[in-house]
Amino acid sequence: MRHFAVELEELNQALLEMGAMVESSIHCSVQALVDRDERMARRVIEDEARINRMELDIDSRVTRLLALNQPVAGDLRLLIIALKINTDLERMGDLAVNIAERAISLANVPPVKPLVDTPRMASLVEDMLHRSLDAFVKRDATLAAKVLPADDEVDALRDNIYSELLDLMQNTPGVVPNAIHLMFVARNLERIADHATNIAEDVIFLVKGVDVRHHATEF
Amino acid sequence: MRHFQQELEELKGKLLEMSALVEAAIQRSVSAVTQKDRSAAEQVLRDEAHVNELEMAIDEFAINLLATQQPLAADLRLIVAALKINTDLERMGDLSVNIAQKAVSLLSEPVVTPMVDIEHMSALVESMVRKSLDAFVTHDADLARSVLAADDAVDSLRTASYHELVSFMEKNPQNIPQALDLIGITRSLERIADHSTNVAEDVLFLVKGIDVRHRSEARR
Repeated sequence: MRHFAVELEELNQALLEMGAMVESSIHCSVQALVDRDERMARRVIEDEARINRMELDIDSRVTRLLALNQPVAGDLRLLIIALKINTDLERMGDLAVNIAERAISLANVPPVKPLVDTPRMASLVEDMLHRSLDAFVKRDATLAAKVLPADDEVDALRDNIYSELLDLMQNTPGVVPNAIHLMFVARNLERIADHATNIAEDVIFLVKGVDVRHHATEF
Repeated sequence: MRHFQQELEELKGKLLEMSALVEAAIQRSVSAVTQKDRSAAEQVLRDEAHVNELEMAIDEFAINLLATQQPLAADLRLIVAALKINTDLERMGDLSVNIAQKAVSLLSEPVVTPMVDIEHMSALVESMVRKSLDAFVTHDADLARSVLAADDAVDSLRTASYHELVSFMEKNPQNIPQALDLIGITRSLERIADHSTNVAEDVLFLVKGIDVRHRSEARR
């Protein structure tokens, strides 16, 4: 039987690897949208299968660790949080795929508007994901707490994008179908930020033992 | 060990309680939209705190069971599934809050479009939620499979209403905000259906030991 600590370390690595993959999907999906690059968008869609396999692998690792090692206290909490982070990462991957699909729909139609806020939103969101996973691996609650305020910035960008697109649609009804795609891209990025926030909250729970979900402002 | 079995039953009972709350929230949020019922929407917003508290209580209860009972095999799988289902239910609660918020914003706008098929869609979605939880409690794989089939029906309803609303917006630019709210509502209903599909998949894993996630061919 392998040492528990070694297996935990492998689990960390697996989550980090999945996180890197998801981060790259988010980045490429928005890049594909900005560059009108259909091939890049298709790569994101193809990579989804790999992300899904990683999710299944991490789930079975955790279940095996729970079964074989009967961990208590800190280790148990760690494993439960690994399960939750795994679910969040997989959902982020799905959302990136949805952005990539919309990038394909938009690649061959005239541009709706110059995209400024969307890539800005994407890099904020990627950064949130990166830092929340970093905080998980380092068990650093302070680092995790710093992720939380970025969520408000993301929401503000989303609101900007929404009202800009709404004006555009009302003045130029012909752009409606394509403008809606851009609205959903903003919405998906906002949802990805919410998942990164979940991870950060889980890390705080892990390190401090306090549950900040549903009242993150207390932190 | 008798005691442990009772605690597992208690865990299931708590999840059923949570799902009853979430189902009521979905139903209220939809009637807030279709009946223009502000008080129904407000109740959904008020009940969210309760759903959130229950989510944290269930997490705590499940983690305590893992810590104190050191369950093996089937019991372990059951508790892991309960944790996942708990997360899905909480997300469904959030989505019904989104619907309630859009219902409030629609109150101040004139009704302009045929209400797409929100009532039909939400009836389907509510039944998926109920069936997926029943399947969990009774370990019924067939019931879980029927939920997966219903998901396709919800997706086609959503796609149809989406196209209807987009062409409505092109013809009636002054009513775009309302139509966007309606698109958001159908999207939330579709997401709720996706979460009950997750629950059904967890049940199949629990009962049959096969992981049907990400393998659409194996679900049939």
